[in-house]
This record gives sequence, structure tokens and C-alpha cells, in this order.
Amino acid sequence: MFKFNRRTFVGTTAASAAGILLGNTLSGFTDKEDSETAAAPIKKVDLMAEVRKYRKIDSHAHFGLAGATNASNLSYADRLGIDKLVISKPMAPGSPGLPEEFRACNDAIIGAVKAHPDRFMGQLTLNPTYKKESMEEIKRCTDLGFTGMKLYNHVKINDPLFYPIIEKFIDLKLIILMHSPIGKARIKYNAREPKNISIPEDFVDIAKRYPEAMFQFAHTAGGIDWEDACKALQHSPNVYVDLSGSNNIANMVEFALRYIGEDRLFFGCDNSFYQGVGHIISAKMTEAQRKKIFFDNYNNILRKAGKNVD
Amino acid sequence: MLIDSNAYIGHWPFLQLKYNNFPALSERMQEFGTDISVVSSLNGIFYKNTQFANEELSEEIRSKKAYQSRFIPFAVINPIYNGWREDFETSVNKLGMKGIRLHPIYHGYELDNPACIELVKMARDRDIPVALSLRMVDSRPSSWLDVEKEWTLANVMPIVRAVPDAKYMIVNLANSLVLDEKDTALLKKSKVIMDTSGRNLLDLGSLLKTFGTDKFCFGTHSPVLDYCTGLLRIESLRNDEANEQTKEMLRSGNLRSFLNL
Repeated sequence: MFKFNRRTFVGTTAASAAGILLGNTLSGFTDKEDSETAAAPIKKVDLMAEVRKYRKIDSHAHFGLAGATNASNLSYADRLGIDKLVISKPMAPGSPGLPEEFRACNDAIIGAVKAHPDRFMGQLTLNPTYKKESMEEIKRCTDLGFTGMKLYNHVKINDPLFYPIIEKFIDLKLIILMHSPIGKARIKYNAREPKNISIPEDFVDIAKRYPEAMFQFAHTAGGIDWEDACKALQHSPNVYVDLSGSNNIANMVEFALRYIGEDRLFFGCDNSFYQGVGHIISAKMTEAQRKKIFFDNYNNILRKAGKNVD
Repeated sequence: MLIDSNAYIGHWPFLQLKYNNFPALSERMQEFGTDISVVSSLNGIFYKNTQFANEELSEEIRSKKAYQSRFIPFAVINPIYNGWREDFETSVNKLGMKGIRLHPIYHGYELDNPACIELVKMARDRDIPVALSLRMVDSRPSSWLDVEKEWTLANVMPIVRAVPDAKYMIVNLANSLVLDEKDTALLKKSKVIMDTSGRNLLDLGSLLKTFGTDKFCFGTHSPVLDYCTGLLRIESLRNDEANEQTKEMLRSGNLRSFLNL
């Protein structure tokens, strides 16, 4: 059944090399029947030109996790035209979460940002169980120019322990990025998730309590039921959603656009760089929407504290 | 030239798909410059009688001349369902299928099942490629009605060991690609080609060195995965990882050789 059309192949590749959109004359379909019924010629696409067309802020990147180094992060970023990476090193899930642990994590980020201040922006981590030490850490890190906070799952985002931390971040006009879980697809979250994992409903709850605060719901592509999560978060205007993660299932971005909207979505990779860029380029949206998601939305958040890129 | 080695039409029962019919897939191909797509039917995963899915696929391709030069159909065959030998013969001889897709996780058999081995030997004898996907969807957010099992590359090796001279397409390399020394050597010398759609292709440049530049080809796993990421992994390779000639082999050359196009 499959008929390899050598005329099409020769026509398209020759013209592609010259960057010419084929007309019927060049396509090889010279007879009437072919020109009416055969495949339209395919124009070669310069994918990397399309990728590089957009400025990008990766709103969710890590250093010191899963082998991520300055060199590896910059290698991917340079390859894919990512201008800035917002990096963090949250404490390992299930760790005691002691002050010395979060300080060490933040020290690592301080070092990474210091090495490449033109490319990396730092996010601190902490454990609100240790209020005094956490408040001190916020001061230490923000004095050094940190632009936000990234948290794992030691304490739920809507736990009262977080209230003073959130209030401090409201004052600082900085965003709070909180991890989200894997699963729910089989009615319940993945068995390995700890009891303090923040689920979408927790974000809804805390966002309502603190409408002035800015929260970032982590990685729709990180393994959560993204449809369920987006629907939960659709009416929480101060919850922003990053599209990072390894699950580049088709239509996730379009779905998030429908339920979250073009002003509350962030480009991010969570170190799955190809998927992070690829599914936004692949998604059906306007150029203006893509520009917002790749760059403007996050830059507008940074602007609130005067930390915007341009 | 650009050939997508891993596309589908049809439905996924637990998720709304777009671009899952020939007009929409053709539009995607135009948009991203894909000349030809290897395509099989998602319905073949869910129909008990997979042959109906193959017939639907064939009919649709035959319905338009343009499709016949743009799509290379692969038949879904279930070797533990009665009539599979006839399904294979009909698909190859009458429906114009150029390869077969196996879905052991969904159809409920292991790759070392004697019927599976027999089918793969039949395919080998006709120079028909056998395609296997390490997973169809990410099991983490998938439906509570969907399968939970996924494969690593090592899980495919029993059939490669059993029929080492068959042609294999391994797609959606979503999980570990670690093989022991013996299996790595076997895979390298076998007629195996792997697509670029899977999430575990973190460093295609290194994989080209490990397995060989002839072992990879462009694939989207569309419309399940986004259309672009598999291509991005190729197009963003640096010159020291792949020169233009190697990139062209990844875009289409390797697959053209593999499929005798």
C-alpha cells in the first residue's frame, strides 16, 4: 500500500535545502491527477530557529539533585536557548529537615549563583518547623539576591507553621514554589508520597487564606494527574502553575491554557529540558501566549520585587 | 527528509487526544516538516480482535492518494488471540502493512511466549520489522483503569535473544536503558532501531556513542506525546555530538535503510 514517492522526496529535499516553499512546479507533481490528489509538498522546518526565537526563564530548575551541576544545567540551557534558570536545592524528601540541612542546601545555591550570576537566580529552602532559623535563613538568602523559595514535602503548604513564612514572602513580594505529588490516577496518590505532601486542594486552601501571596504549583508534567490538578486550581488566581517535568503528554499545555489561563502558566523544565521546551513549542497557541509562558509571566512576578530580568 | 517512526491514529479510552486522525496528523506533519510517518492504530490495543483496527487503518490510508505516499502502516497483531497467523498474512499481503506492532503489556503475554516467538520468526522470514513500545503512556497519572506496568530496555531483550536476526523497532524509551555487557553487544549487532520520543533520552549524544549512530531515528509517539520533543533531541545536537550527515541519518536515513525505502 505505501508508495514511496521518489519525486516528492527529491522535490522536497532539494527545495528544503534552499529554504524554498515548494510550488507545484517544483514538487514533482506535474500531471493533473497527481497535482489534485497526491500529497502536498512538505516544507523543511528550522526547529531550532523557532526554539531560539523566544526568550526563556526556566522557572523550575535544580542544582545538586540527580547529578545536576552548573555545567550540565548550562549545557542544556545553551542548547535550548534558555536565558535564565531559577535554581534551588530542596532538602531530600523524608530527611529530618534540620536547620543545618537547609542551610547547606542554600549554601550550594549561593555558590552556583555566584559562579553564574548572569544565568542563575536562586531560590532558598527551609523548614517552617524551625521558625527562628527559617526567618534568619530568609534574611540571609534574600540579602544575597535570592528571588523565591522552593519547598518539598516536610510540611504541607497550608499548615499553620507556614503562616509566618508566607507573610514574610508577601512583604518581600517573592513567589513560593511548592512541590506536588505523583499520581492520584488510581484514586489515591502514589504510595511513596509522604503524608505532608501538598496536594492541589492544599494550594487552593492557602491561596484563599493569603490572596496577596504568590504560589507556584510545581510540575504539571511531574507525574501528577495534571487534568485533575488544573481543574482544582482554576479558581485560585494567586496560584501560578509551572509546566515542568518529564511527562510531555500531548495537550497538557493546551489543557492548562484552558483551565489556568495564559497569564498564570510558567515555562519550566525541572531538569527535563527537552520536554520542557518541546511541549510548549508543540502546543497550539498564539505567539503572544508562547512568549508569555516562556518569559513574560515569570518576569512579571520577578518585577514585583524589582528582580525582573530586563 | 524527515520520517516519523512512531505515530498513531485512533483513540485512547482514558484521555482526549487531538491530531489522532489522518487529516489532523497530516496537518501536524506539515507544521513540523515531516514527510512520512510510520503509523499504527491505537484501537488495536483495545479491540480484542485487533484485525478490525488494522482494516480501519488500511481503509483510511487507501481512501486518499496523498496518504499512500505519506504513511507507512504497521499492523497490530496479538499472537495469543485466535486467528493471528491469518491476521498477519492478511495484513502483510492484502492490507499493505510494512511492519507489525506488538503490545504484550496490554494484550497480556510475555515476550518469550512461544506464540510471540513464532510470530516474530514469521516477521523475520518476511523481512517485516517488529515494533515494541516501552510504554504507551506515563503510568503515574494514567487512568485507574489503565495498566501500571512499564518496561525498561532490558525487558525487550528476551525476544531479541530468542530471535536475534529479526528487525526490531523499540520506541518511547521512557525508562532505564541500562543493559549488561552481553545484551549491549547483542543489541549493537542486531537489526534494532530506537526512536527519539522517550523521556529517558537525556543525552542522545552519548547514546549515539554507546549504541551507534545507526541505532536511532526520529519518532514522536504522537498523538500521545507532544509532537516536537523527539525532534528537538536531534536538532539540538551539537556538532561534536552529531554532524549534519549524522543528523540526516537520524531524521530519515537510518529508518529508510531499516525499512528498505
